[in-house]
Amino acid sequence: MKLSRRTVCALLLLAPAAPLAAQWTDYPKPVIPRLPDGTPNLAASVPKTPDGKPDLSGIWETSPGYTGNIARDLKNGEVQFQPWAETLYKHRVETMSREDPQARCVLSGVPRENVVPYPFKIFNTNGEIVILYEALHSYRQIFMDGRPLPKNPNPTWMGYSVGHWDGDTLVVESSGFVDNNWLDNNGHPGTEALHLTERFRRRDFGHIDAAITVDDPKAYKKPWTVNLKFNLNPDTELIEYVCDENEKDVNHLVGK
Amino acid sequence: MRTACIAGLMLSATALAQWPEYRNAKAPRTVEGKVDLSAPAPRTAGGRPDLSGVWEYMRPPGTPPPPPPARATPGAPADIIPLAVRTSQFWNLGASFKEGLPFTPRAAELHRQRVASNSQDNPDAHCLPLGLMQLHTHGQPRKMIQTPDVIVIIYEANAGLRQIFTDGRPLPKDPQPWWFGYSAGKWDGDSMVVETNGFRDLGWLDVEGSPLTEAGKLIERFRRRDYGHLQIEVTIDDPKAYTRPWTVTVHQRLMPDTELIEFVCQENEKDAPHLKGQ
Repeated sequence: MKLSRRTVCALLLLAPAAPLAAQWTDYPKPVIPRLPDGTPNLAASVPKTPDGKPDLSGIWETSPGYTGNIARDLKNGEVQFQPWAETLYKHRVETMSREDPQARCVLSGVPRENVVPYPFKIFNTNGEIVILYEALHSYRQIFMDGRPLPKNPNPTWMGYSVGHWDGDTLVVESSGFVDNNWLDNNGHPGTEALHLTERFRRRDFGHIDAAITVDDPKAYKKPWTVNLKFNLNPDTELIEYVCDENEKDVNHLVGK
Repeated sequence: MRTACIAGLMLSATALAQWPEYRNAKAPRTVEGKVDLSAPAPRTAGGRPDLSGVWEYMRPPGTPPPPPPARATPGAPADIIPLAVRTSQFWNLGASFKEGLPFTPRAAELHRQRVASNSQDNPDAHCLPLGLMQLHTHGQPRKMIQTPDVIVIIYEANAGLRQIFTDGRPLPKDPQPWWFGYSAGKWDGDSMVVETNGFRDLGWLDVEGSPLTEAGKLIERFRRRDYGHLQIEVTIDDPKAYTRPWTVTVHQRLMPDTELIEFVCQENEKDAPHLKGQ
């Protein structure tokens, strides 16, 4: 049977998506502003931390559509591959992403965690911002204590992230990524030269605008930026996600 | 053969990697500049003890040092798991119980089968989540992050993420069974008392496979007795697996000036097909 690309994407998504059948735990939070009928007022003003900065805390989910191609909104020519990276990208697309590490329960990595169809929870704490991702039980720490990015970090899927405030916008710089990164399901490559800049602005109670700049001179001739929207998931919680549990799909991945 | 057990241990390969150093500017220091582990426990703005920090497991204070390994009898299979490991809480949570754990007959039989098959079904060896007690006694560190309404624990070992809700919510009555259960905590003086239910059935409390069932409830009392030491007294109340509730105490010490490292159990994982029982 020849499967369409969409089918394989669906398979890749379904492989780790078993918990979708489960039930998110509802728990109404008293601190959420509400309309007269009791529904959360997502257009209410942005909450602040004690030091007056916007508080990004909450459970968020990215507007759908970018899981396959993180750069889908960019015009032709905005993503300029280096020749080897273009060859690799075409290979990944033609083989229907069958080599995708995420399909083998390896971490999705950053920035791909921003485009997978699973919620994530942001915590503001003393000196750092922590993000728990439902997908693959992964996490990320963004250090806010003024430390610099390390010069020669151990390469990781999630990278090493430091953040600072530019007015009301949280600016996060990350580096130290693995050399065989996938930025989306299609397989836009990322290398150990990747330097990521994310600008997060909580527009109102229910929305964050995110601008993500990929600067990876080993894979791309110039930096490129994608704009995403995160929507608040109020009154709920993350659920458990265990990719490897009863995992039978990987042997059935097809591709040319 | 104890290959399964060894393979389970070898999945901790990341422990060979390097924990990054980063000096914590807020930590109390001795005159030599080392973090003063016996300084008072830090407190939150609300006056509660702050449990935040990177913690590593330590053998219970007063535990006698393990005797040197016995010399193997020629011709006999070598005892490749050192006694210090086999008598650790990670291996056997009831190691300090002279009579052993108070298993019900069904739990005793399950435990016997798990030991007899060299723990080859230990979820940890298959990149599945460890149980909460396995995570408390694991050799890889964990980071506690305390916020006003939730305490997050990030376990370096295989994808362990846990939230302890401290916003006053009750435990759910019929929760979705989860590997890590559902945890809610409240302060009792300087102790954070956490109750957890909603476990999946037939979980593993240690490498030997002392079971925890879906009827099980954990009551943990976390107490940071000074800057560098955390004590967790855990009562396991599981009438399906144990004839009475029982209590163990886990000790952890602060890993100062460092951070967790990334651990991806599934990456290039080749061990699981080679796990063998007897």
